[in-house]
Amino acid sequence: MQKKPLKRRIRITPLDTTIMVVLAGIFGYIIYKAATGLNYHWNWAIIPQFLIRFDPDTQSWVPGLLMHGLFTTIRLSLWSGLFGVILGTFIGLFRVSPSLFRRQIASTYVGLIRNTPPLVLIFVFYFFVGDQIMTLLHVNEAVYALSPEAKEILSWLFGPMNRFSQFLSALVTLALFEAAYIAEIVRAGIESIEPGQWEAASGTGMSRTKAMAYVILPQAIQRMLPALAGQFISIIKDSAIVSVISIEELTFQAQQLMTTTYRSFEIWTLVLVMYFALTFMCSLIVRKLELTLQRD
Amino acid sequence: MKTHRFTTILSIVLLFAFIFGCSQQPSQQKTDTSAQSQVSQLDTILKRGVLKVGFDTFKPWAMKDKSGNYIGFEIEVAKRLAADMGVDVEFVPTKWSGIIPALLTGKFDIIIGGMSITPQRNLKVNFSIPYEYTGMSVIASKKLAAGRTMASEFNNPATTVAVRLGTTAAEITKNFLPQAKILFFDEESQTIQELLNERVHAVVASNPLPLNLAKEYPDKLYLPFKEDFTREPISFAIRKGDFDYLNWLNNWVLVTMSTGWLQNRYEYWFYTNDWENQIQ
Repeated sequence: MQKKPLKRRIRITPLDTTIMVVLAGIFGYIIYKAATGLNYHWNWAIIPQFLIRFDPDTQSWVPGLLMHGLFTTIRLSLWSGLFGVILGTFIGLFRVSPSLFRRQIASTYVGLIRNTPPLVLIFVFYFFVGDQIMTLLHVNEAVYALSPEAKEILSWLFGPMNRFSQFLSALVTLALFEAAYIAEIVRAGIESIEPGQWEAASGTGMSRTKAMAYVILPQAIQRMLPALAGQFISIIKDSAIVSVISIEELTFQAQQLMTTTYRSFEIWTLVLVMYFALTFMCSLIVRKLELTLQRD
Repeated sequence: MKTHRFTTILSIVLLFAFIFGCSQQPSQQKTDTSAQSQVSQLDTILKRGVLKVGFDTFKPWAMKDKSGNYIGFEIEVAKRLAADMGVDVEFVPTKWSGIIPALLTGKFDIIIGGMSITPQRNLKVNFSIPYEYTGMSVIASKKLAAGRTMASEFNNPATTVAVRLGTTAAEITKNFLPQAKILFFDEESQTIQELLNERVHAVVASNPLPLNLAKEYPDKLYLPFKEDFTREPISFAIRKGDFDYLNWLNNWVLVTMSTGWLQNRYEYWFYTNDWENQIQ
């Protein structure tokens, strides 16, 4: 296949110009209405300090409240993404297993999670299940007994240690929730591999497990990666939902700030931009990944 | 194919039974142990060395300052309470609508969050004696509800009032303005936005919020009534049945009130703006 030259000459037709003008007009009108039509005293000057501010005590620049929220969102997404992938892979493998029992477990899991609203799942887990597990594992006692150095390292990974059990509860719920979707991606990836591959593998005397590990999965993973990466972007957005159980991620921090400062529009706009920046960056990485995979 | 579907449904049912089974058992154990040993939460706090305090951000009860630390009237009260116990304090910010379930499931030891006593809340939690009183007031839109100065002028189906979900403002509105339409919002800032956008006629909230709003938007909003609607007792809330703990809290309130400290701090947070530069 011959590759097309990367740079094509862009021709601007009258239709393009009309569409651009109309779009600019609509946006301009919205901004104009927001600035004048709403009965609201805009005050953008107080916003930058929520991102970064100068701390007079330590004489240095430190991240502001919303940045702390963003860090928590990233932590939450990374961990629940990781655990979601691990659990999701197992469930996905169970979905295509020859054993009826395993298929049943997996499809029950996926069916149960996918057909429940995430909000309800989070409340149920936080108030009933999470509590029992945290008490059973003595998470709180373990946190109090930690040495200061251990606390520092762990808080770098998981956020403030005094809120660890809540964070864990949110993380597990998100991971369980995302695992159901990841399992379906894994299943679709494996099922997309041509039957000939299975036949060839068994023809060389491989067992099913070996065929899966050496022949099927390496090919399937390549097909799954873009969808998995897309799912990770979803996790970032879905993580906003745990603000209802008071996890101090970006949305929660923003709501708290709004209650104190009453600057709703400025803060929501900023939060929107922050989420967009984060997910757009991920989208770019995903795109790069897809192009790299296409090459071979 | 039919048997396959049947087994799937059966396993879902079994899984539900399993989940409910799991969630039932430990709660039974919990009541058993509390009935037998009667360990006061006070002892647990002292042993742990940390008092966990549940609250939600309400200006000026509890707020986040620029560096992310909590400040406000309730925060000072909580710190003083913990200091008098000889333990550290840990703040657990919790959404107001879910604060009582969170207390009951043991996410923290006490609610110190400007919570006023209501009989409904009292069915679920124990309240200490009040350490402060707060009043509800109305802030109205000049454009939609101009020149009204009596409650009867707001008490009609054409009037819409916004309140924060889970607060006593809703009940007060029902009592004083039974005919008005009430809209509920999760955050105080949303109710204010509705008012400023002229979608509701008035907002009912505890002072000093209405007072401050009238100052910030003098051309848009006004205070229809000179006096507060109510005088509501503000108390600490704890889980039920722990009378050692309750006794300690009651006496703490009596002692601290007698020294004038509570009144002093209340006046600082509610009637001055000296702390405003700490938050924005």
